[in-house]
Amino acid sequence: MIKFENVSMEYSNGNAALNNVSLQIDDGEFVFVVGHSGAGKTTLTKLLICEERVSSGSLEVNGFKLEKIRSWKIPKLRRTMGVVFQDFKLFDKMTVYENVAFAMRVVGAKPSLIKKRVPFFLDVVGLGHKSDSFPTELSGGEKQRVAFARALVNNPDTVIADEPTGNVDTELTEGIMELLLKINKIGKTVIVVTHDMNIIRQYQKRVIRIENGSVASDKIGGDFN
Amino acid sequence: MKPSVFFYNLGQGFKGVFRNSVMTTASILVLIACMILVGTFYLVIDTIDRNFKAIDNLNVIEVMMDKSYGEGEILEIGHQLAEICDESPIVDWSKSRWTSDIVVPKDDTFKYVSPDEHFEIFKEMYNNAAWIEAIEKNDHEHNEGTHLGITSSMADNPLRGSYRITFVNLSDFDEVTKVKNKIDEITLLDANGIEVDAISNDDIKDHVELYGNVMSIKHTLYIAGLWLMAIFLLISLFVIMNTIKLGVFARRHEITFMRLCGATKSFIRMPFIVEGIIIGVFSALVSFGIEFYLYEYLLKDIISSATGTAGASGIISAPFWEAYALILAVGFLAIGLFAGIISSSISLKKYLKA
Repeated sequence: MIKFENVSMEYSNGNAALNNVSLQIDDGEFVFVVGHSGAGKTTLTKLLICEERVSSGSLEVNGFKLEKIRSWKIPKLRRTMGVVFQDFKLFDKMTVYENVAFAMRVVGAKPSLIKKRVPFFLDVVGLGHKSDSFPTELSGGEKQRVAFARALVNNPDTVIADEPTGNVDTELTEGIMELLLKINKIGKTVIVVTHDMNIIRQYQKRVIRIENGSVASDKIGGDFN
Repeated sequence: MKPSVFFYNLGQGFKGVFRNSVMTTASILVLIACMILVGTFYLVIDTIDRNFKAIDNLNVIEVMMDKSYGEGEILEIGHQLAEICDESPIVDWSKSRWTSDIVVPKDDTFKYVSPDEHFEIFKEMYNNAAWIEAIEKNDHEHNEGTHLGITSSMADNPLRGSYRITFVNLSDFDEVTKVKNKIDEITLLDANGIEVDAISNDDIKDHVELYGNVMSIKHTLYIAGLWLMAIFLLISLFVIMNTIKLGVFARRHEITFMRLCGATKSFIRMPFIVEGIIIGVFSALVSFGIEFYLYEYLLKDIISSATGTAGASGIISAPFWEAYALILAVGFLAIGLFAGIISSSISLKKYLKA
């Protein structure tokens, strides 16, 4: 569960990024977070993975109280989440297999487990046949799917996708959304940060709209401008 | 640490070493220079120490008795010397207070060496040369071997008796000089009851000046060694730090991703520390080999020529493997590990914030 209670966040230069945000995302929910550039979406995501700390209020993520979390506990928190970055953050010198395996290796997974799980998740995202390819040999959509496999491979409770459809065409967007729904169906909480109004309208899920660092609306589906 | 994680770190560390081979080579060379410098200074200073300790009468003042003195005069001077020495903190009379870094048996702290004993030492020194035997033979023919103890039993013995005072520690030069001056003031009464100087300065033999000179050279070497070590160590740290920073910079995206995936700080740090350790250990091994060569084939000759002794045989040097191998190996490894671990830890600091 994710619970924001009167959370404010101010950067060291004095810019307020979030103002008194209160919201709750239950386990297994599918949520879109939308808003214009600079609205506070990225800050909200950064707070969830503890890349930034809350300035005031309380924030609980998957059982961790982030306002007073000790630094040695942060890796444990992050292991409960799988993040798909907008720029994918794939390593060009590693193959598709190695990219996905890397996420497991850095959390100290056993090689036998890596050998078992990486091919499985590559199959889940439909890239089992491309495991020896390098990211430079993949299309944008394929790269996106590798990023999903990598986010899922450590079996996180929550998957956060930052603009997952930002770099792909309509057809691939649908494929990615199907994948996200599939992930949600197996019980994972899915948070999709996006400004793609089409998918919001199409999938009619809970939408949290952030404006000027505050929650402007929080409802199922709907039109946003 | 799990074996898989250990081997992963080791592999990444080796990859890091070869990632920027030019900078790695520079780091290794500077670190080797630092280690060889430290090792050489240590070997020179230790060799000087060993040579000084080997000369057993270096911390000795020897007061020679005049040939004309009889037992009474010699004993009288002995009492006066004992009194002077008893007041001095550098001559330790009490066994319980015996603390010496230049170890001599307590019983030898203050002792009278008769002309006969000097003769025996002389005989040994000159390997029982024929002319010494002649003196001895001649003496036996004329004297029936009557031994007076303090004075010589041999009429032809050219040697004089002496009081030998062994100092606990020669480093207190002022005190040694005080003792010398007091010895110089010892007087005896002549036949007319007038005080006469019993000891002339020529009768006092000591190595204080020589000891002082060498100590001053040793001190200078020690200070110079420490400064040079500090400077080279700083340069090594700086170069290794930059080498590792290049590796960290090249892998900054990986590091960011690792952090966001939930890798612990120690997991992220370890490959770079392993890289630092590899640089340190390799430098230590090479330095050890070079230092062995330097000691065996160069240092001995340099020291002996500097001290004026002819050839390497003139200097007392300890066998490398018995005396220095362990301490140099441990020292070099310590320097290498210190430099490697510290510099890699500093290099990563920026990228490891939570």
